[in-house]
Amino acid sequence: MNLMPEDILRIENISKSFDGNPIFKDVSFSVTRGELSAIIGPNGAGKTTMFNLITGYHVPDSGRIIFKGKDVSGSEPFDIVKLGMARAFQITNIFPRMSVLENVLSTVITKDRGNLNIVTNFRKLRSARDRAYEILDSVGLADLAQRQSGTLAHGNQKRLDMAVALALEPELLLLDEPMAGMSPEERWQTVELVKSLWERLKITMLFIEHDMDMVFGISQKVRVLCYKTLLAEGTPNEISSNRQVIEAYLGEEV
Amino acid sequence: MTPQYVVFMFVNGLSQGMLLFIIASGLSLVFGVLRVINFAHGSLYMIGAFVAFSLSTFFSGGSFLNFLLLLLLVPPVVAILGFFLETTLFRRVYHQEHLLQLLLTYALVLILDDLVRVVWGGDPRNVARPDVLAGSVDLFGLALPTYNVFILLVGPAIAIGLWVLLYRTRAGNVIRAAVTYPDTLGALGVNVSWVMTSTFMLGCWLAGLGGVLMAALANIDLGIGMEKIIESFAVVVIGGLGSIGGALLGSLIIGLGITFLQLPLGRWALVFPYLMMALVLIVRPWGFFGKPER
Amino acid sequence: MVIALFFLPFVLAQFGRTGEYWIWVTTEMIIMGLFAMSLNLILGFGGMVSFGHAAFFGVGAYTVALLMKKAGAPLYLALLAAPIVAAVAAAVVGWFCVRLIGLYFAILTLAFSQLLYMIVYQWYTFTGGDDGIHGIPRPEFLGPINYYLLCLILFLLCFMLMRMIVNSSFGLTIRTIRENMERAKFIGINVRRYQWLNFIIAGAFAGLAGGLLTELNRFAQTEFLHWSKSAEPILASLVGGMYSFVGPAIGSAFLMFLKIVVQQSHKGLVELWAIILGLVLLLVVLFAPGGLVGMYQQLFKRGDS
Repeated sequence: MNLMPEDILRIENISKSFDGNPIFKDVSFSVTRGELSAIIGPNGAGKTTMFNLITGYHVPDSGRIIFKGKDVSGSEPFDIVKLGMARAFQITNIFPRMSVLENVLSTVITKDRGNLNIVTNFRKLRSARDRAYEILDSVGLADLAQRQSGTLAHGNQKRLDMAVALALEPELLLLDEPMAGMSPEERWQTVELVKSLWERLKITMLFIEHDMDMVFGISQKVRVLCYKTLLAEGTPNEISSNRQVIEAYLGEEV
Repeated sequence: MTPQYVVFMFVNGLSQGMLLFIIASGLSLVFGVLRVINFAHGSLYMIGAFVAFSLSTFFSGGSFLNFLLLLLLVPPVVAILGFFLETTLFRRVYHQEHLLQLLLTYALVLILDDLVRVVWGGDPRNVARPDVLAGSVDLFGLALPTYNVFILLVGPAIAIGLWVLLYRTRAGNVIRAAVTYPDTLGALGVNVSWVMTSTFMLGCWLAGLGGVLMAALANIDLGIGMEKIIESFAVVVIGGLGSIGGALLGSLIIGLGITFLQLPLGRWALVFPYLMMALVLIVRPWGFFGKPER
Repeated sequence: MVIALFFLPFVLAQFGRTGEYWIWVTTEMIIMGLFAMSLNLILGFGGMVSFGHAAFFGVGAYTVALLMKKAGAPLYLALLAAPIVAAVAAAVVGWFCVRLIGLYFAILTLAFSQLLYMIVYQWYTFTGGDDGIHGIPRPEFLGPINYYLLCLILFLLCFMLMRMIVNSSFGLTIRTIRENMERAKFIGINVRRYQWLNFIIAGAFAGLAGGLLTELNRFAQTEFLHWSKSAEPILASLVGGMYSFVGPAIGSAFLMFLKIVVQQSHKGLVELWAIILGLVLLLVVLFAPGGLVGMYQQLFKRGDS
């Protein structure tokens, strides 16, 4: 087993099935620190399941998930988050009745406190608030801070989702279909946003996408999940000329 | 502590368990299909018991026929009550937060339990056992109460009946499909609301049946509703919500447990369901036959 | 508003016997309001249904009763002990219950409260079982008016404490968990631990309320632990509005008032109180889940955000 120190995430021989239906078997790949990469594949190939396994929402049937050198297979989500991983969701998963600011503030506060502080420390709260505004600014939501998050337009909710993940100051950020449900204009903005965040914050980003503009436009590496396994892995150019991949997509295309 | 005594306790415990099974299976079924935990299930059982009492006052003599009439008439009455409850109340909250659904059934418990008190008063009642079932039978050199043995026969009969219904009839297939694939059922061209209503009625029927049987087994009073609903919860927690087999297993465990623990613990044996429930909820929250990740 | 509450008992005292009755009633309203608000920490802010909150109310009540009657402790000590003992009980019960969510949580809280109820009921030698504990002493200077003021002061103190907790980062975290438990886990919140703490805090306040009620009525009885007692704060919170802070207290007062009105007008109707309560709950659940405060907000604050 060669242990490459730049691997921030390693998936080793992961298999998962639900109720006897295998989703994928024996998948392995690694993510280099600082890279911006994608996982693609036809619907139902198990991309979101992979994310669920990585973030601790599900437990793999076999295999290991190594994050920053530690085996986190089967760990609780909040422990994995504390190690430095964050996730943005495909179907927006925010805190609807709270304001946009509170959504992010909550996260900042949770991150700050190593242990349990129950009653308010007003100074800490103010600095947390400032930090929250900063983050909202970086995704362009600062002027919507007081709105109830459940009332935001879909595109903005997705940004908020991303902001919440960013507030965790993760080393590895997982984005589950950041473009899902967006209008063409919003798509552009999102691609730009993801790219600029990556360049500025220098964190490792791994995303799932169907939108090929994003995948081939900005990612450094692409992995294809298909036929219950990792079909191919390589640079966007390599993948777009890979015959098996093309077949898989053409065969599936709606 | 003779072996005969053990057998006696065993039969008692089993019959308690069987009675509990009849009631708890209704609860489990309703949850499996409607996804609502009906707190008022215990109250419906209690209503069944008291209605049986009232009807029995019209009969004289201890003929088995009279008792049979009770068994045939009372559960449908409860089922009809269930029909009204489901169509007027439960339907409105299916799409609401679970919190509100819970509170709705809780409100029903308040109303129904007190209604029973108003109509029937606070004194304990009971239904006289038919002559045929009173007294005892000689088995294994022991005098076992005939009625308990009767329940020991009715219980499995119901279990088998339910099994046949669920696994061998078309209606049963639909119900099982509703339990496993709640969201897609409508797409299969099934009249979902009718499935829900009839399942609920079936659950109420079972509760009513339990009530009738209980009325002749022991004294019934205003507390039996709450008592049974908690025991039923323990059963479905142990066995897994939505599983009939689990309800059977759970009922037997609880029934036998309470009975045998009365030896060392006396009144404190009633603590057993709670402890068991707590234990299962902590170790394996979805019960023996339930599905995890709920 | 608060100032009016302070002067109320003096006004009422002018009315002689009826006045005294009303002082007693309003004192009880204050106490039950506290009880309802304590539950709402779990229910409205925590998003968890607890059917067994009366257990902690009862534990607090019996703590005061036993300490004062059997151990001869002074009132202030007993009132200090009540929330502490209740908090311990809540810690034990809560530790088990927060391992579960939603439905299962509710069932388990009910089970534990019935368990406690049975223990108190059966343990005749210690708790007096069905008879309860009577004849709890009351210090001389605490006549009806003064006791009312004591309760009011404690209520306001607790009110401010609860307010502080809810608006603190702890409160924010609890609300976060309520809004989206799964996501909360994904931002690093140890959901279980926070829910447990919230449960303990709520239990402590309930215990204090129980202790105050015991001293007011000068007896404690098993009914304090019964599941139907748990229904009262649930209803109060629902009727008053569980997403608001003061809603439960308003709801509680409203329900008590309603009960008295019913009592005075139709003697027979009191018999049906549980049914009425259930019907009210039914109506609220079906038609006005936001409670009184919710309706108020809808009516008067339309056109806002």
